[in-house]
Amino acid sequence: MTHRRIAAAALLGLAWFTGPLRSQALPPDIAEERSAHTEWLASAANSPLAAVAQQPVGPGVTLGPPGADLPLEGVAEHRVTERNGMVTLKGPEGSRVIPPGRSLVLGACVLTSAGAAGRRVLTVYGKNRKAKTAEYYPYDRGLVFTGPLHPPTQPGRVRVLALDGIESDATEAGTVVVPLGDRPVRLRVRRIPTGNEDEAELEIFFRDDTNAAGTYPAGRFVSLIPLGAGRYRLDFNRARNPFCAYSSAFPCPAPWRGNTIEAKVEAGERYLGGGLAAPPTVPESR
Amino acid sequence: MRGTAAATVLALALLACRSSSPADEWRAVLDLAGGELRFGVALENGDSGWRGELCNGAKCQPFSAVTVGGDSVLLEMADYAAAITARLQGDSLTGAYRNVGNRGPRVIPFRAARGRWPTSPDPGRLVGRWDATWMGDFGTSPRVIELRHGDAGLEGTIISNTGDYGHFAGQVQGDSFALTHFDGSYVYLLTGELGGGAGVPDTLRGLFHAGLRAQTPWIAVRSTGGPHLKPLTENTQADTAEPFHFAFPDLEGRVVTERDPRFAGKVVVVDIFGTWCPTCHDAAPELVKLYQAYREQGLEIVGLAYEVSGDTGVDRRQVRRYRDKFRIPFTLLLAGVNDTEAAAASLAQLQGFTSFPTTIFLGRDGKVRRIHAGFYGPATGAQHAKQVRDWRQEVDRLLAEKRPAALSP
Repeated sequence: MTHRRIAAAALLGLAWFTGPLRSQALPPDIAEERSAHTEWLASAANSPLAAVAQQPVGPGVTLGPPGADLPLEGVAEHRVTERNGMVTLKGPEGSRVIPPGRSLVLGACVLTSAGAAGRRVLTVYGKNRKAKTAEYYPYDRGLVFTGPLHPPTQPGRVRVLALDGIESDATEAGTVVVPLGDRPVRLRVRRIPTGNEDEAELEIFFRDDTNAAGTYPAGRFVSLIPLGAGRYRLDFNRARNPFCAYSSAFPCPAPWRGNTIEAKVEAGERYLGGGLAAPPTVPESR
Repeated sequence: MRGTAAATVLALALLACRSSSPADEWRAVLDLAGGELRFGVALENGDSGWRGELCNGAKCQPFSAVTVGGDSVLLEMADYAAAITARLQGDSLTGAYRNVGNRGPRVIPFRAARGRWPTSPDPGRLVGRWDATWMGDFGTSPRVIELRHGDAGLEGTIISNTGDYGHFAGQVQGDSFALTHFDGSYVYLLTGELGGGAGVPDTLRGLFHAGLRAQTPWIAVRSTGGPHLKPLTENTQADTAEPFHFAFPDLEGRVVTERDPRFAGKVVVVDIFGTWCPTCHDAAPELVKLYQAYREQGLEIVGLAYEVSGDTGVDRRQVRRYRDKFRIPFTLLLAGVNDTEAAAASLAQLQGFTSFPTTIFLGRDGKVRRIHAGFYGPATGAQHAKQVRDWRQEVDRLLAEKRPAALSP
């Protein structure tokens, strides 16, 4: 398989290549990331495993009694609204603001709001299901690639669902060419803001032949790592599930056009069940 | 002979003792995708337990807590809900910096070796004020880069339309340089290289790294002194027809408005801040000095805190800690959450509110006279000094205004 990849790349004169096949040991930085991710999934109040509902605030969302938009056991009637970007929870105890990306406790639940002003999304968390958190394929050094990022043919902004199912204003960052499968595959890369000031990630949402056969059916995200001097690293061992893989409370991103690898990418995060049963079928609009 | 042997044993014992303890100065690194972000860590085990500091060059700030157990070291930065966890192995610490964002943990590899970073050589032609242009995906935005030769070598800052990015310190190697700023929340690395000379204008080119992986290319030319950034007073406007209105609870839960007797007939400075905002930490000591200098003459200051959690109890604790840290003697109110749009919505008279901190100067009639969006911190040197001078002149001018007739003694 590896020889075939290298041969295909050489044949096409591509700048992408596999790294030298040295140690198969998990690098410490990836080990640390996985440990933090697993710990967060298992214990954080806003862990996707604890999510029970996610809904655009829109004209308003009612919470609490059985007839509410989001019935929550043991919670009196509340209403969540957005005005000028500020999301407010109103109930018998008065009004409270739900700060974007932060948590507010309501009885046994935790509420967060996220997303752009005018399009805020409410997420409700309950008790952590303590399900299996995350499992990974054995580290495969052969699935680490370095090479250039080619400019986008159609630069522009695009609204995409990010890892957490929240609509995000991304930009087309370009494409990378990876020698996987019988012929090199070109993958679309988008720059998605992280929510921290000045910070963003170059993300690839991709599908491959492991989907629904070891990995999440809808596909996975992997970040492109800038190395400087126009070089980038694409390490499929860092591939991770969208939040919809942990809970059906989250919508799944639609597949990105063209980002299908016709080969098994047996690296990165596996799927342990618990999310949406089937991948979305609505194609991306652009 | 026996004395020599005993001395050797003692030296070995001391060495063993030293190498098994993290009490030391450390050359620390966050390994970003685009390079090393270097900073200093100093740890000591005193009578009151472990404590430590995080240093960017000569500027240091204490960790909120240091915990050492066996070979594990935990360095906490509570202001930013962040921590460094590391394992001690002889003369090295390895681990990670972590805080939690919206989409899960933000993890950046950390390592450190015993000792101090060397002071870099004279930065020569790099020194000065540079008009820079950040080149984003969809256009450019202006910055000013100030570089100087400080006590710890190359120092400087980056200034935007809304204030500065704090104190940067770093190294020079030939015509290349790397400047870093890490305060527990913001993770910034500025790398660049000097070009030009011999009849060709000096030019700097480089990358601005934010967080683990974001990189923005930039280019800069030596400043000619002309305007490159918008003045801080031009970003935000306000309704000046009516007195500036606010109504928020204080730290004991009592709602305070602009009509409170403590503000009547006085010049009032409204500081819109957040305890999570490093630039606000730079502004706080200057506001305290301003208050101490002018209180007797009729100045009142009120701080409006926009906090992180939205949980009144948690936010109140954070603001109390901030008040105690800077020994703030003026009124602090809990105004809301740290979202610019939400803050703007809570202060309807402001137009174009974009930045924390924002400082509003009110005349004795309670109407807005001037607004500073952002703050030039001490790292900006001359800009900082000028801003402090401007504030004082503004307060002098407002104090000299006649009191409103109804409020005259």
